[in-house]
Amino acid sequence: MSQTMPTATQRRLRTYAFWAVPVLLLLLPLATNPYTQFIANGMLISVLVTLGFTLTIGNLGQLAFANTAFFGIGAYASAILAAKLGVPWLLTIPLAGAFGALGGFLASAAALRGIRTYYLAIITLAFGELMRWAYLHAKPVTGGTDGMPMPREALFGISLGDDSLKFYIFLGVTVLLVKATLNLMRSRFGRAVMAVRENEIATASLAIPTARVILVTFMWSGFVVGCAGALFARHVGHVFPESFGMLHLIASFAMVLVGGLGSVLGAVLGAVLLTALPEYLRAFPGMEELFFGLIVAGVLVAMPMGLASLLRRLSPVFVERFYREAP
Amino acid sequence: MLMQLTLGGLSQGMIYALIALSLTVVYRSTTVVNFGHGDFVMAGAFLSYVLVVLAGVAFLPAAALAMIAMFVLGVMFNRGLIRPILGGPHIGLALMCIAAGYVLRGLARMVWGREVLPMPPVFDMDPIFVGELVITGDAVFIIGTVLVLLLLFFGLMAMTDLGKMVQAVYQSPRGARLIGLNVDRFNDFSWGIGAALGALGGILVAPVSLLHPDLGASFLIKGFAAMTLGGFGSLGGAVLGGVLLGLAEQYAGAYIDSALIEITAYVVIVAVLFIRPQGLFGRKAVVKV
Repeated sequence: MSQTMPTATQRRLRTYAFWAVPVLLLLLPLATNPYTQFIANGMLISVLVTLGFTLTIGNLGQLAFANTAFFGIGAYASAILAAKLGVPWLLTIPLAGAFGALGGFLASAAALRGIRTYYLAIITLAFGELMRWAYLHAKPVTGGTDGMPMPREALFGISLGDDSLKFYIFLGVTVLLVKATLNLMRSRFGRAVMAVRENEIATASLAIPTARVILVTFMWSGFVVGCAGALFARHVGHVFPESFGMLHLIASFAMVLVGGLGSVLGAVLGAVLLTALPEYLRAFPGMEELFFGLIVAGVLVAMPMGLASLLRRLSPVFVERFYREAP
Repeated sequence: MLMQLTLGGLSQGMIYALIALSLTVVYRSTTVVNFGHGDFVMAGAFLSYVLVVLAGVAFLPAAALAMIAMFVLGVMFNRGLIRPILGGPHIGLALMCIAAGYVLRGLARMVWGREVLPMPPVFDMDPIFVGELVITGDAVFIIGTVLVLLLLFFGLMAMTDLGKMVQAVYQSPRGARLIGLNVDRFNDFSWGIGAALGALGGILVAPVSLLHPDLGASFLIKGFAAMTLGGFGSLGGAVLGGVLLGLAEQYAGAYIDSALIEITAYVVIVAVLFIRPQGLFGRKAVVKV
C-alpha cells in the first residue's frame, strides 16, 4: 500500500498534539476519585510495559516472552533497594531500569550465538519462568511467597501513598520514556532495528552488526519495562510473585496487538483501552484469560496491524515513520 | 535408589516424550510451534476428569472420548484460525496459538474456579517389589501405554506412505502439493494427531497429579526442553529428549537439590541452545550472518 507522508504543517500539528496530551493530563487528578485515579496510574504503567514489548515483537520482529520477567525484575529491584538498602524510591526507578536492561541482555545473549525466531522465543520463555522460580525460592532476598512490602516514604511533605502525587511522577516518567523511545526509533539505530525485522541477511550485508542490534533493542526494552516495574512496586505498595505470571503476559500481548505491532501510538492506545476493561472481569474466575485470548485471536484474524492501521488511514497526522503495515 | 530414580524418571520422561512428539508432529506439518500446547494437555486431563468423575464413564472409554474430542478441536483450530494466517509472519502464528491456549485455560477456570482437583486413582493395583525397587501400577501403566503408542506411531511411519508424506511436507509444502499430496488435509490431520497425543499426555498424568487450569504451562516448557535437546523437528529426537529430560530431573533432584526438579528443563533449554543449538539430531538452527 502506498502511503501519504504527513506534510510539514501536519508534522508540526503532531508535535503540538504530542505535548498537549500530557499537559492536559496534568489536570486529570482534579476530575478523578481515588478508584479512577488508581486505574489511571495503572494505565500509565501499562503504557510503558506495552511500549517495551512492542519494541521487541513489533519493531524488531523477534518473538519474546521475557517482558513479564523484565517487569518483575524492575519491581523487585525497586522494592529490594528501597526496603533493604533504604534507597529513596525515586532513585530506584532508573536503577530498576538498569536491572531490567541487564535482564534484557541475559535473555537475548543467545542472539550472539545466532539463535533467532522460535529458539529465541523459547529461551526467553525459559528465562521468564526461571525468574519466577527465583522470586519464589530466593526467600532471604525476595521474601518468597510473602513478597516484598514497599516502605512508607514522603516527597515534599506528601506521602507517596497519595495517588495524585504518584500520577504526576508516573506521568513524568512515561512521557520521558515514550519520547526517548520515539527518538531512538527515528535514529540510525531505529532504522537498523526495522531493517533486521525486514531482512536480517540484507541488513548484515550493509555492515550492520545485527546480533548487536537485537541485543541492544532487548536491553532498551528491558530498561523501559524495568522502570515500569519500579512504578508498579509503588503503585500497588507490595510486590508479589503472582503479579508477574502468565495472565500479565497475555494482557501485554493483547495490548500490543490491539494497538498495532511496532507502533508507539498503538502501544499507548492499546494499554489505555485494555487496562480499565478487565477491572470488571476480575470478579469472575477465568473471564480475564478468555477475554484476552479472544481479543488476540480476533485482532489477528480481522485487523492484524491493530488500531494504528485504522488511524493512519484516517489522517496522515497519525503516520509513524517507523511503523510499516504488513504487505 | 538409582533404579528407583530411573523408573521414576522413565515414567515422567515418557510423558515429556509424548508431549514433545506431539509438538513436533504439528511443527513438521505447518512449521508452527504451538505455544498453546500446554493448554491442550491440560484440556485433555480435564475432559477425562469430567467424563470419569462427573459423568461416571470408565477410565479407558473416557480417555478415548477425550482424545477424539481433542483431535476434532485440533483440526478445527488449524482450519479456522491457523490456515487463514499461515502465510503471515511467525509472530502472528505463535500469538494465535497462545491465544487459543488462554481461551482453553479461561474456560477451564470458569468451570472449576480456583480449585485444585484430585483425580481418583485409576489402577488400584498393589505395587510390585523387586528387591528394593517399588514398581507402582501408575508407572507400569504410563510407560506401557506410551511404549505401545510409540511403536504404533513409528511403525506406521516406517511401513506406510505416511512417513514419506511427513518427510515431503516438511521438506517443501509446495513440492508436496506438486506431486499431488493434499497438504491442507495432511495439516489438519497433523494438528488433530498433535492435539490428541498432547491430550493423552494430560490424561496419563491426571491420575498421578493434581489438576488445575495452569498445569499446562510447565508441560509446555518440558516439551520444549525435550524438543530442543533432541533437536527441533526430529521425531525420534523428541522422544529421546523427553526420556533424557525425565531422567535428568530425577537425578538432579535426588543427588543435588530437590528444588532443581522444577528448573532442570530451563537449564537444559539454555544450555543446549548455547552449546549445541541443533540439539542431538536436529537440523541447523543457527542464523549465520
